[in-house]
Amino acid sequence: MDSSSGSEFNLTDLSQNDKKELQQFVSNEAQKAKIQSTVHYLTDMCWKRCVTSKISSGQMDSSERPCMENCVDRYIDSQMAVLKHLEQLRG
Amino acid sequence: MDSFTNSLGVNQQSKKQAWMDKIRQEAAVEQARALIDKVSDNCFEKCIPKPGSSLTSGETTCINQCMEKYMSAWNVVSRKYIERIQARDV
Repeated sequence: MDSSSGSEFNLTDLSQNDKKELQQFVSNEAQKAKIQSTVHYLTDMCWKRCVTSKISSGQMDSSERPCMENCVDRYIDSQMAVLKHLEQLRG
Repeated sequence: MDSFTNSLGVNQQSKKQAWMDKIRQEAAVEQARALIDKVSDNCFEKCIPKPGSSLTSGETTCINQCMEKYMSAWNVVSRKYIERIQARDV
């Protein structure tokens, strides 16, 4: 990256506070992106499990919505069960 | 406002703002692209099991409804997932 060019935003000129602010900003954005990518993954997986009948409207029906919510909850439960069991195995 | 502009020149300050806006915008574009990919995959799967010589009006209706439904499913999952990870943090 060319930091000497005047039209560019020059990171080396930043004060300590600005550096901190930018670091915080980048880490927040990265966390948001990570959460959103997990939501994409979960929606895809749970959709395949819960939306099994023909599409007949643009809304989730009364069984699909709770199925999607349970799917997310149970996925996280499973994840924690795996971690917990792993800990036990390690003694 | 003075202490704000002191640490960084006004020019540099506005560049910082522009840089942050650019990052946010790129994230939003990436986010929309990922959603469109998933909608296309899942709704094609659901609505076009046997591709014919053109999209029928029934298939088009299905695609439109499927898209709305998928986005509403995305919102349900997002709300639930964030609720769970926040509960774990506390």
